Amino acid sequence: MTAAAAPATASLLEVSDLRVQFRSRRRTVHAVNGVSFAIGEGETVGLVGETGCGKSATVRAIIGLLKSPGRVTAGAVRLEGTDLVGLQPRQLRQIRGARIGFVPQNPFGALNPVLRIERQFRNVIRAHGRGRRGEIRSTALDMLDAVGIADPERVLRGYAHELSGGMAQRVVIALAMILNPRLVVADEPTTGLDLTIQRQILDLIRDLAETEGRSMLLVTHDVGVVAQYCSRVLVMYAGQVVEAGPVRRVLTDPAHPYTEALLAAVPRRGERLVGAQGTVPTLLELPPGCFYYDRCQYRSDPRCATEAPSLREVGPEHWAAVHYDKGAGIRLPAASASAAPSDADSAPGDM
Amino acid sequence: MRYRTGAIAKRLLFIPVAVFIVITLAFGLVNLTPGDPALVIAGDLAADEQVAEIRAELGTDKPVPQRYAAYVRELFTERSLGTSFFTKRPIWDEITQRFPDTLELVVLGLLGAVLYGSLLGTLSSYFRRRWPDTLSRTSVTITQSIPDFFMGLLLIYVIFYIIGWAPAPVGRIGLLDRPPDRVTGAVILDTLIARDWGLLKTAFHHAMLPVVTLALFYSSHFAKTTRAVLSRALNSDQVEFARACGLSELRVVGYAFREARTPVVTYIGILFAALFGGAAIVETVFAWGGLGQWAIDAMLKLDVPAIQGFILVVGLLTLLVYLLLDLIVVALDPRVSYE
Amino acid sequence: MSKARLALAKALPKRAEMPAEGGRAGRALRALARGALAHKGLTIGFVVILLILLAGFFAPLPHDPIQPNPESTLQSPDGEFWFGTDRFGFDVFSRVFASARLDLPIALAGTLLSIAVGIPLGLAASNKSRWSERIMRGLDMFQSFPLLVLAFAIVALTGNTLRNIIFAIALVNVPRFIRLVRSEALVLRESRFIEAATAIGASRTRVMLRHVMPNTMGIVLAQASLAAAHAIIVIAGLSFLGIGITPPDASWGVMIRVGSQNIATGQWWVSFFPGAMVFVTIVAFNMVADGVTRVIGRAED
Repeated sequence: MTAAAAPATASLLEVSDLRVQFRSRRRTVHAVNGVSFAIGEGETVGLVGETGCGKSATVRAIIGLLKSPGRVTAGAVRLEGTDLVGLQPRQLRQIRGARIGFVPQNPFGALNPVLRIERQFRNVIRAHGRGRRGEIRSTALDMLDAVGIADPERVLRGYAHELSGGMAQRVVIALAMILNPRLVVADEPTTGLDLTIQRQILDLIRDLAETEGRSMLLVTHDVGVVAQYCSRVLVMYAGQVVEAGPVRRVLTDPAHPYTEALLAAVPRRGERLVGAQGTVPTLLELPPGCFYYDRCQYRSDPRCATEAPSLREVGPEHWAAVHYDKGAGIRLPAASASAAPSDADSAPGDM
Repeated sequence: MRYRTGAIAKRLLFIPVAVFIVITLAFGLVNLTPGDPALVIAGDLAADEQVAEIRAELGTDKPVPQRYAAYVRELFTERSLGTSFFTKRPIWDEITQRFPDTLELVVLGLLGAVLYGSLLGTLSSYFRRRWPDTLSRTSVTITQSIPDFFMGLLLIYVIFYIIGWAPAPVGRIGLLDRPPDRVTGAVILDTLIARDWGLLKTAFHHAMLPVVTLALFYSSHFAKTTRAVLSRALNSDQVEFARACGLSELRVVGYAFREARTPVVTYIGILFAALFGGAAIVETVFAWGGLGQWAIDAMLKLDVPAIQGFILVVGLLTLLVYLLLDLIVVALDPRVSYE
Repeated sequence: MSKARLALAKALPKRAEMPAEGGRAGRALRALARGALAHKGLTIGFVVILLILLAGFFAPLPHDPIQPNPESTLQSPDGEFWFGTDRFGFDVFSRVFASARLDLPIALAGTLLSIAVGIPLGLAASNKSRWSERIMRGLDMFQSFPLLVLAFAIVALTGNTLRNIIFAIALVNVPRFIRLVRSEALVLRESRFIEAATAIGASRTRVMLRHVMPNTMGIVLAQASLAAAHAIIVIAGLSFLGIGITPPDASWGVMIRVGSQNIATGQWWVSFFPGAMVFVTIVAFNMVADGVTRVIGRAED
């Protein structure tokens, strides 16, 4: 499994067979069910899927911030060889912010409303024991300048509520990257922003990653974003990676029916909108066979109902969790479905 | 900033109206409620002339509008709250003499309540559904269900009678102690000024039980508020991002606590105002001799001018506290601007 | 007509989330009762209050609660006087239970009165006119007053009759019901089923009485339970200070007051048992309030 979805270069982050459960007295939600992937140096990997597919839980597991009662029940998250899963809170804290930068969804929610921006920068830098008195301010100013804020002095003096959405997200990005982390995890960083600003922010994140040679995990539900900003893509469904590979190959020649449905849900000129039918399994009890069985258009192979498919190489560096061999001419029967995976308009309440 | 000064000006303009309302309320309470205080003061056996005499002295023989006018006139022209029916001393003097004692009790009691309550609330929200949470909830359930005066008696029994840590509930200092020279009127402050360390210790010793009583009883408010606000704050995106930036847990709780700051301060203000009367029972239990105890005495004796004066002063004090509260909240939270 | 019906059917929420409707507050209450049985705390709290009340009126008491035994004063609890006697020779046990006859009905009556006044005023103030804003401002002012002391002053000035005590309790509790009902009504008026009722032409009053009001009952009940707990404290406080109920009538506050003179010399039982009873009663009312809040799904977590 670990070989699956491997990057071309040496890997910075390696997630193997990660499992996350949310357990309460009454029920257990299997949010992440054996996710494996790796991110190489300087690589930008997209993670796509619908709301509730386990994207957020995967990300939170990586940065060690799963909310109670969520728990990593198995697997490993290796950052430059160190497994983060078993780490002491103190050690994990030193990694967060310094070696993994996190860019959250909602910039206004992320900034402290009653602290001046300067204090927030100072606290982050101090938390990692960096920067001497005089330096902190200039470091913060440089960083704000780097994220394209016109008047950094004024922003530093001010509060979060005085910023516009785009500005706030720039400040958040500056905070996330001020300690120059090698890996940036961006969790739908443009949700709730204006369309024009979304692009600016994504460009900014990409530029910041590229110039410093950072690696990035970009979580999104927008296939278009993946196409434009990522080199590789992981498609998640029901807590599993169902397809992984270079963006161009996965998007032009998807091997998993779910990816196909996801792509069909992207509106194109003159084409009828098609999406996956049915609903995602509840993740309370995992089905014995393929998780996508109920919605699948091609469930021909008898193993589909009984045996969960694992990722296998279907093309060069291209992996998919399917039983059937994609022969010639598999196409979605047109006009058969209209229910698109409706993530595009979902609230940022993704678990 | 412009908005804020505007809003504050608006509030200041509202004050005269509010003051007038308070004056009217204090007057109305005594003069418009059914029943004749003169009858009660005189007792069942009094002759009609005696009752009439008392009425004349209280001024209740005149029609209400005339009384109201006289009351307001006296208040503004002579700056007088009238004189006590029984001691014949000016009400104002009676009140100012006792005010510092109550102030001391209220400040110390609230301080204890805030510290203990916030601690409970913080533990509760941080260790949600674990044993500190259970412990904290139990404390809240118990302290909010024991009336403060009964709590005071329990403390007297356990800590004075059984354990012997606290002195007898006879007031600010021992019966045989010579009080410090009156400077501020607040005994603890005055002993500080007089540098009488022995007496200071005595004063603190005597303050222990009443302060603990108030602190325990009112801690539940702060525990519940901090718990509710912090629970929300600790689950907020803000806190998640702070953690994702690698801030220490202490700092993270500090971030969350800043959100709880405004409601906690608001509660402090509200309780501060309410306690000037609300501490009355506790004052009585511990023979504290403050404003509250004096007011209760006045009520028992039906000293009408004293009751009226007390209501008026407490009402005005409340107004003042609420105004300060508004200003503090504006200063604390950069988002509040009262547009 | 049928078209309107259809539209209405669509506008109305599904059965499961259908709020209590018109004149059938009974149904809402029955649903509440069903939920109550499922909630342990609520049941316990309710039963405890009921038991205390019943015991106050019907329990056979070992001694006459208002007849002192002069030959046995300040006796510690024993086989004869289970909770001991006070310095007048009153049997603490009998009086603790007899007190429920006065304290509980007064608390409940005061609370009921404040609900009876608070609901109509709250509904009336639930439009967004300038007037209602002003009324709320005035209410703010009134509530910012130290209400406990105000209640003391009122009873002291008007005389300590039962009626006056009930009035005082109602007065201090009315603002919370006005505020609660108003804010509930403001939210409800925005909801779809009220819109639907207005759409089929129900009058304003009818909408208020048959649709809005019944749906505030749950939260009002929870608040009422808290108000009753508060009323118990106020009555005990009044009687403790000697302003409220006076001896020889039995009241928990009066008993605590009598015992307070002996507690510093170690005769704990005179104050302790009535105080414990107050504690139990308040906890029971709080449990009911908590339970109702949970049953109607308004609990915080």
